Amino acid sequence: MSAAAVLKPKDYKSATRPVWCPGCGDFGVLNALTKALAGLGLAPEQVAVISGIGCSSRLPAYTSVYGFHGVHGRALPVATGLAVARPELTVIATGGDGDGFSIGGNHFLHACRRNANLTYLIMDNAVYGMTKGQASPTSAPDWAGSKLTPNGPGIAAFRPLEIALSAGAGFIARGFSGDPNGLARQLAEAISYPGFAFLQVLSPCITYRPEQMEYKALVSAGFEPLADRNEAFRRLLTDDGFTTGVLFRAPVAAPAPADARQAAGDEAAALDALAREFTAARLRGDGGYEP
Amino acid sequence: MTPSFSLALTGSGGAGVMTAGQLLLDAAALAGRYGLMARSFGPQIRGGEAAALLRLARRPVECPDDDYDLLVALDWGNIERFADELPLAAGAVIIADPGQGGVPEVIATQAGRIHEIAISQLARDIPGGRPNMVALGIAAALADVPGGAVETRVRQALARHGDESVAAAIACLAAGRAAALEVTGHGDPPSAAPSEDTVDAGAPGPHLDRWVLNGNEATGFGALAAGVRFCAAYPITPATEILEWLAGRLPRVGGRLVQAEDELASINMCIGASFGGVPALTATAGPGLSLMIESLGLAVAAEVPLVVANVMRGGPSTGIPTKSEQTDLNIAVYGLHGEAPHVVVAPTGVGDCAPTAAWAVSLAETLQTPVILLSDQALGQTRTIVDPPGGELARAGRRRYVARHDDSTETYRRYAMTADGISPMSCPGLPGGQYTADGLTHTEHGIPSTRAEDHVGQLDKRRRKLEEYDYGPLWGDLHGAGDIAVITWGSATQPVREACQRAEACGLAVRLVALRLLSPVPASELEAALGGVRACLVVEHNHSGQLYRHLRAWTELPHPTLAWHRPGPLPLRPGEILGALQGLHAQLEAAA
Amino acid sequence: MSPEVHAGASVALFLAHAITLEDEAAERYDELADVMAVHHNEVEALFRRMAGYSRLHRDEAQARAAAEALALPPLRPWEFAWPAPESPESAALEHTHYLMDAHQALSLALAAERQAQAFYRQVAETTADSGVRALATEFAEEEAEHARLLEAWLAQHPPSSASPGDDLDPPVAID
Repeated sequence: MSAAAVLKPKDYKSATRPVWCPGCGDFGVLNALTKALAGLGLAPEQVAVISGIGCSSRLPAYTSVYGFHGVHGRALPVATGLAVARPELTVIATGGDGDGFSIGGNHFLHACRRNANLTYLIMDNAVYGMTKGQASPTSAPDWAGSKLTPNGPGIAAFRPLEIALSAGAGFIARGFSGDPNGLARQLAEAISYPGFAFLQVLSPCITYRPEQMEYKALVSAGFEPLADRNEAFRRLLTDDGFTTGVLFRAPVAAPAPADARQAAGDEAAALDALAREFTAARLRGDGGYEP
Repeated sequence: MTPSFSLALTGSGGAGVMTAGQLLLDAAALAGRYGLMARSFGPQIRGGEAAALLRLARRPVECPDDDYDLLVALDWGNIERFADELPLAAGAVIIADPGQGGVPEVIATQAGRIHEIAISQLARDIPGGRPNMVALGIAAALADVPGGAVETRVRQALARHGDESVAAAIACLAAGRAAALEVTGHGDPPSAAPSEDTVDAGAPGPHLDRWVLNGNEATGFGALAAGVRFCAAYPITPATEILEWLAGRLPRVGGRLVQAEDELASINMCIGASFGGVPALTATAGPGLSLMIESLGLAVAAEVPLVVANVMRGGPSTGIPTKSEQTDLNIAVYGLHGEAPHVVVAPTGVGDCAPTAAWAVSLAETLQTPVILLSDQALGQTRTIVDPPGGELARAGRRRYVARHDDSTETYRRYAMTADGISPMSCPGLPGGQYTADGLTHTEHGIPSTRAEDHVGQLDKRRRKLEEYDYGPLWGDLHGAGDIAVITWGSATQPVREACQRAEACGLAVRLVALRLLSPVPASELEAALGGVRACLVVEHNHSGQLYRHLRAWTELPHPTLAWHRPGPLPLRPGEILGALQGLHAQLEAAA
Repeated sequence: MSPEVHAGASVALFLAHAITLEDEAAERYDELADVMAVHHNEVEALFRRMAGYSRLHRDEAQARAAAEALALPPLRPWEFAWPAPESPESAALEHTHYLMDAHQALSLALAAERQAQAFYRQVAETTADSGVRALATEFAEEEAEHARLLEAWLAQHPPSSASPGDDLDPPVAID
């Protein structure tokens, strides 16, 4: 048990009412996020939630922390810029499977590699909800529920955990929106992880994927945090996509890019020194110059 | 007319002409000269044909001359590639190495005096000698750059290679100089000006405070001086030097640079950093700017300050990455979907890059909007000797921040309607200032909205803040007072300025208006500057007259106003612009 | 509350659970009321009323704790020992629909109240602490009373013939 958090989960919610359909898994994720923030006792002004476009990307406005609702697929770069420029903040990127794995897929790979200190929470419902239910990267190849791909997308489903593991993410977990308390705990762990933490949340779309109402019966807490990447790969060989828990937690975060920043010090003196590097006087010989 | 001396050093396959050219320019700076050096390359990453194109003068010069007074060829590999770029002056001197075969027809048929110097052999005769150092000795002698200055520069540059290398290089310089003076007739440089005012290389003086740099470095410096502390970088020719320069310097003032996975990421990283209150910049060129456009619209809508330094190159598509063209004005001003007013500025020369970059940062921060700075390959990659900026560079003032909200019942309105259209910002970390920045049409609070009142209100507000701002005297540079005017922008300013000087020398007074602020168009200032003008020429370095059409859309231009423009890859030269001015004048005289 | 944790639970720990149970129930009802309001469904009022009841019970439990001057253990959201993923009186989010009628809404609430009743009853049966047993028994009886109230209410709102699946307006594209 821990010290009392001054703020309650609802203090992390805004007065803006979600546009999500009743029954949407994203409500559970919002609740889990506010519980995690309350559980960690973070001051709302020290937290930023960054998203792209899609149903789940509407989440930032429903919180009372700083939010950024950007363009489709670019939540991770915005979050990376903020996390690098303001390392003292808690930065959480959120969004859906289309936003993160399709249009933003390249950023996902490189965010795993870059290991900036931020949490990436994907609400995965294997469908594009805001454009009326097209197949997403995590849809099964034979899912024929969309007019756009009446015979199914016909291409292999994206496997987020395997890809995150391959790309070098240090913290990889899967959660379920129907377990807000367990998800809150996972999120708290992810937020506390000193590096890039990826959390795939199975979050049913009751409008376009009503069969996902069955997720509650399919999920099972089966992952125990592994510290060895190879073991984590082996564990995924028997994963049915519904195992939840922390799959992988690198014991020490891979080294972040060295923070070469110097103490702010005398900026004017530093700028003067930089200007002197341009002068003709430097070409006469105090060393340091190389044509 | 500026007396100057232009020369080209050409060679291939690691012959070292770029090093020789740069050392010559540096030595000229030590000797109190002004000048510039452009580079021209073949497509090979290593070992391709290369030309160092220099112009040296005793007064400031920031553009290439009409033709070259001297060509020093270490070899003739693929010289045809440079023939267009190397118009030789009547009486130009051509130094050819007989060991490299005959002078190719494309050179031999131009007017010029060919002199043979066995450059390679001279170098071979000196232990550790290199042909490019012999060529440097030749070029310095014929361009009248004092040998002492060259030697000082070479000693410093080669010091880390050891005394033997330095001694060999000094011997090569001497051999080259002697050979050059001998073949051309004892120190009678063909078109160099008298050398009585040459500064001794050992003597310090105010000329040593001059800057020797290219526009990309200057742009990086201006941004840093103005307060940029975050840069996201994706390499692209010819903008990469801005990013590389910043990578090494940002940490010295407490800033950070991240190499991004693509331009979509770099622009959005800048948006993230700036949302976090840290002034941000990225640099790119046409293809990268195209990728950034969607997110620039986001920065407009979410009112996030940032600067994109776009270093233009030949387009469209991959175009000619290594050649200059003022070809991205259209996309910079009009490329964003929706009504997305923002600021576009352009430096008017290499020396103007730092002040204009600083101004761009200051405008972005003040107006809470993206600013696109349009540099180009000519500005970005031409190493130039310039006077350092006079006066203070603009600095990013503190953003207009909201006061802390202690009254928890009042929620912060990030996009509040204000008289000047600028709404007080907040920033993560500020208690009570929480809001969600949004690219969706939003209310004053930032809540998504599809209501007409919100849409129109926010469109009005964002336009108002740009249109009602007082941009001050930096909107443009004015020279001269004739009743014929030239309007130009960016790197075209320098050849236009020189054309105007030549016109004036011929008795034709011309008024020059060089626009630094391209969008929003400073219409009233421009119209005032053109008062009493009876004819106007709009000069630019592109295929369709982008500035001309842009100005026609936003302002009343004098009648007649003619468009004069042509695309790259060849640089604009003063003589062709002078010709256009004289043509316009003749037309007016004929009509009168 | 799982028996192994709460066999030895104190009154303070029990009240911490009871207060959170009612608080989360109230928040969930409010959340459902909000989302029904967004979707123009009149069952909003019903959920809002249920939220009020839960808040009353939360206040009662808080008053008990205050009267005894009990220091409640500070638990993080995931440190509560609920028998299911969510606290027992939280109405199931996934069983809602934007066209749900009063019968369905009341059925949802009834299920939540019954879960709360079962929770308190189980605590009463398994606890070794007489104080906890007395409180849990009392709270279980209150929940039973709610359940009876809801059953009576339900009788006034028979199931409608249309199911939520009968949607005359297909979903629309937003972003």
